[in-house]
Order: sequence, then C-alpha cells, then structure tokens
Amino acid sequence: MTRTRRRRLLLVMCLLVGLGGACALILIAFRQDMLYFHEPSAIAAGDVPINTRFRVGGLVAAGSVERPGDGLSVQFKISDCTATVPVRYRGTLPDLFREGQGVIAYGKLMADGEFVADRILAKHDSSYMSPDTAQALKAGTSDACLPANRQYSR
Amino acid sequence: MRRVFWAVFRRELAIAGRQRGALVHQLLFFVLIVALFPLGTNTDQTVLIAVAPAVLWMGVLLSVLLSLNGVFRADHEDGTLTQYLLAGEPLAVIALAKMIVHWLASAALLVVAGPVLMLMLGVSLDAWPAMILTLALGTPTLVFVGAIAAALTLRLPRAGLLLGLLVLPLYVPVLIFGAGVVRAAIVGLPYAGAVYIMAALCVLAITLGPWAIAAALRIGLDA
Amino acid sequence: MTSFTMGKSLRRRFHRLGSLPYFYDVSARWAIWLAVPAVVCIAYTVIAGLVLVPPDYQQGDVFRILYIHVPSAWLSLFAYTTMAGAGVVALVWRLKLAEIFIVAAAPVGASFTGLALVTGAIWGEPTWGTYWVWDARLTSELILLFLYLGVIALHQSIASPRTAGRACALLSIVGVINVPIIHYSVVWWTTLHQGATLSLSGGSHMESDMLWPLLAGALGFSCLFGWLTLWGMRVQLLWRERRSRWVMRRIVNG
Repeated sequence: MTRTRRRRLLLVMCLLVGLGGACALILIAFRQDMLYFHEPSAIAAGDVPINTRFRVGGLVAAGSVERPGDGLSVQFKISDCTATVPVRYRGTLPDLFREGQGVIAYGKLMADGEFVADRILAKHDSSYMSPDTAQALKAGTSDACLPANRQYSR
Repeated sequence: MRRVFWAVFRRELAIAGRQRGALVHQLLFFVLIVALFPLGTNTDQTVLIAVAPAVLWMGVLLSVLLSLNGVFRADHEDGTLTQYLLAGEPLAVIALAKMIVHWLASAALLVVAGPVLMLMLGVSLDAWPAMILTLALGTPTLVFVGAIAAALTLRLPRAGLLLGLLVLPLYVPVLIFGAGVVRAAIVGLPYAGAVYIMAALCVLAITLGPWAIAAALRIGLDA
Repeated sequence: MTSFTMGKSLRRRFHRLGSLPYFYDVSARWAIWLAVPAVVCIAYTVIAGLVLVPPDYQQGDVFRILYIHVPSAWLSLFAYTTMAGAGVVALVWRLKLAEIFIVAAAPVGASFTGLALVTGAIWGEPTWGTYWVWDARLTSELILLFLYLGVIALHQSIASPRTAGRACALLSIVGVINVPIIHYSVVWWTTLHQGATLSLSGGSHMESDMLWPLLAGALGFSCLFGWLTLWGMRVQLLWRERRSRWVMRRIVNG
C-alpha cells in the first residue's frame, strides 16, 4: 500500500469511528427519559424541588373541575393515572381546557401539597376529525385514562 | 500526517504560551458578563437561581465567539495560512491541531470557571457535576462549529458582526441542551439523555468539523 | 433504444444543464409547469379549508389555519434540505447552477419559515393559551429562520459571486444538523406542540375529507416554492452573467 493510500484509509477510518460513535450516543440518549415537566406520580413520591417554580404535566382528572367564588379561579386535579395533584389557578383558561385533556401547569408546590399555578397551557392531540366521527368513536371507548397512552407516549 | 499534526500542535502551543495575557482577558470577560447580571437584575435568590444556567451559558457562548474572531487572522496576515494550503498535507489535520490548542488555551479555563461562578449565583452544589460535564462537552462543539464561520469570514470587513450572525444560530442546540441539563439538575429532573446528545454533538463536531474548517478556509481565502 | 444510448442521452441532458444560456431558456418553460399546479392546488386548499371541510371535534373552526400552517412548515424544512443537498453538489461538482439555487431558495425558504411561525402563533393563542412558548419545536423553527437569514447575510457580504455561492453552500450544509432536530423535536421531547398527524409508514390521524385539501396544499406550496425559486435563479443568473455575450444578446432581442 502506498503512503497516500494508507493516509486516506486512516482518515476515512477516523471519520467512520467518529460517525459511529455519534450515532451510538444518540441511540443511548433516546433510551433515557427526557421530560421538561414533572408528572403527578413524581410529586406523590416526593422527588420534586421545593421553593422553585416547575411544570406539572398530565390529564385533567374527570369530574374534578370546580369554580368556587367569583368564577375566575378554578380548582382541578391533574392526573397521570397513578397519582393526582390538586391545582389552583386564577385567570383565563385556554379554549381546549376540559376534563380528560392534557395540560401543563407552571407554578409552585405549596406546603399543603396543593400546586398553585400561574399559567395553564393546554396540549391538543394529533388527531383531527369532525364532531360526528368523534361522537361515533366515543361510544366505543369509555376509559378516561386511555388518551394518556397516546398523548404522552415516548 | 502525524508529524504535521504534532508540528502544528507544538507551534500553536508555543504561541498560546507566549500570549498568556489573552487567556486572562478572556476569563475576565466571562466573569464580568456573569457578574454584571445580578447587578442588572435584583439580587433575589430565586430569580438568580432560575436564570443562572442561561446566564452562564450565554457567557460561555459570547466568550468563545469573541475568542474565535481572530483565530485565523494572525496566521493569515503573516502568510502561514497560505503555506498550510500549499503544503500538500491534509488541511483538516492542521485545522484539528489548531482548534484543539485553541480549546485548551481559551475554553478549558471556562470549564473551570463556570462552576465557581455558578456557586456565586447561589446554585446548590448538587448541580456541579452537570455544569462541569456540559461545559466540557459543549465548549469543544462551540469552538469547532464557530471556527467554520470564522474561516468563512476570514477576509471580510466587519467580520465580527457577521460572525455572530452566522454562528449564534448554530450554537442554539448546545445552549438548549447545556442550560437544560443544568436546569434539570437544579430541580432534580433526569438529565442523562441531553448529556448523551451533547456528547454526540461534540463527537460529530470534532470528526466533521476539521473538514468543514478546511473547506471554509479555502473559500474564505478567496473572498 | 439500448440502455447504453439511453444513459448517454440522459448524461448529455444533464451536462447541457451546466450550460447557463440553455438553462435560462428552458427554465422559462418549466416555470409555467410549476405555476399552473401551484395556483390550482392552493386555490383548492383555500376554498376547501375555509368552506368544504367540517370543523374539528375539539378545536372547532380554529383548526382551519392548519391548511396554511402545516404546508409552510413542511416547506421550510424541505427547502433547507434541498439547499444543503445543492450545497453538496456545489462544493463537490462545482456546479454553478447549484450555487445559484441556494442563493435563490434562501429568501423563499425564509418566507415559508416566517409564515409557519406567524400562523403557528395565531393558532397557539386560542388552543394552547399562548402565542409563543419556548418549547423545542417552536424554538428550533425560529432558529431555522435565523439560519436562512444567515445564508442571506453571508451572500450579501461577500463581493465575488462565486465565492459567495460556495460560502453559502458550506453554511447550508453545516446548518442542516438543525433539520432533524426540528423534525424529531416533538417525538424526542414531550412538548406542547402536537406530534405528527401524518406519517409515511403508519396511518394518519385525520379524516380523509380533511386530509385531501392538506395534501393538495403541500403539493401547491411545493410547486410555489419551485416556481419562485426558479424565477429567483433566473434573476441571479442574469445578474451574475450580466457582462457575458449571451445575456446581452437576449436583452437586445427582448
């Protein structure tokens, strides 16, 4: 093998090793959990920070939405099918906020275990259909926790 | 090829050793950016902790960007760059040696200084490993990616402004993952996934970066 | 015709594309073939999206903005990918047309990216409760806009057109790392932005009545991109070759 050939081979080998390494690292990365919010079960287990603002994500538990007082405040529970966390919020809610819908709440956890949110964002899923179709589909499923698997699958 | 690598490596190291003042200046710049922030906002501890990862990473981004502004200029002005081009040795290997020394001489100090500054912003010690790890993985990526644009703008007037325009968007993944990891470490969320992605970006930047820098140098010298 | 001669004639056609006057003449004809489907498809999408399609079961009429938002977001990614592909061609084979393509496609791609961001913000207010969140999909789309603007800025600041073209080619290739990050951002991170409604492999989560106008919109926007880019390339070509004889001759002859 000539010198230039050997040199070229070495460079190509380095390139392949580098690319392979990067691919392997990305594959490992996808096996890890990547969350930008805490789930209610993490709050129940106690591994959330105190005195810091963080996000809670999950589904609005069915039948939990109450509007006490002047109608601007709202109380509800966020659930991830294993645990729930009570949330208090004052302000306008997005259109898509309803029971069974995925939401993300920004705020602080109080000492009594209640989460006081100053911002609520609603997540919509990736299916689009007309109301008639939705009605027909709804008749088939009744489990409130079912959409969670689709919305939060990762 | 190995001989060329080590020759350039030693040359750059000697030059860096003679310009020790520049190293201190860059470190001072980084410390100043971070130190000015609490003075500009209020010194409320929760606010500072919330913005600490972003402030530290912005400081790193800007210091690396500034250090890259003149990375090829001296070599261009005294004709060394033209010699490299004509040498018949792979330009990518030369670029690799040059950028490794540049990282050692400038960015490595930031890796040490970052965690200390983080402590001054009131972040607890628990986030230290995350900060050191992300800085160690992120700064080489910043240096190699930034050098591509620095080589492209080598001979342009007002290159500094254009360099920022070209490079800062490319730095965003590092900023997002780097600051994200530190923030996750502060609030106790898992962050291993983002660290692996940063490692992948770092490996990619070191393997592909020198080739892109070499191509950019050839284009930049024509401009 | 044997395969040998066919390959030869194909190759001749490819080589003829390297001839700039030939491209200038033939691209005027291609432009019509892109313009007609673009106008027809986009008109159908707008009418169908506003009138024919039923409202969504959850979002009601708000979702109709999807027919502009989704195609422009697709095109913003597609345009950048083609620019990076052209960048490889420009640097490896030194094809002038590829450089011109990058320069002409960048403003068009930037416009689609801006359109996707603006329509996304308008859509986000009523559905999510906010115009803008700094989540992965939105942020990386914004970065894509800055990448486009960077290519345009670099092209403007280098005087020699050949060098500017090659510099832009290299920058597009380096920036393409952002495209998979945008594309997979909704899969990798659980963000506010929804996952993909359509996928090539799996079934789509969309009724066919709603789906067809969207696909027509994607086709129409793609043709629009091709059309606008082609005209941009022709303008670039005239400017670059303004001192050459073939341009003079075409100007004199009208």
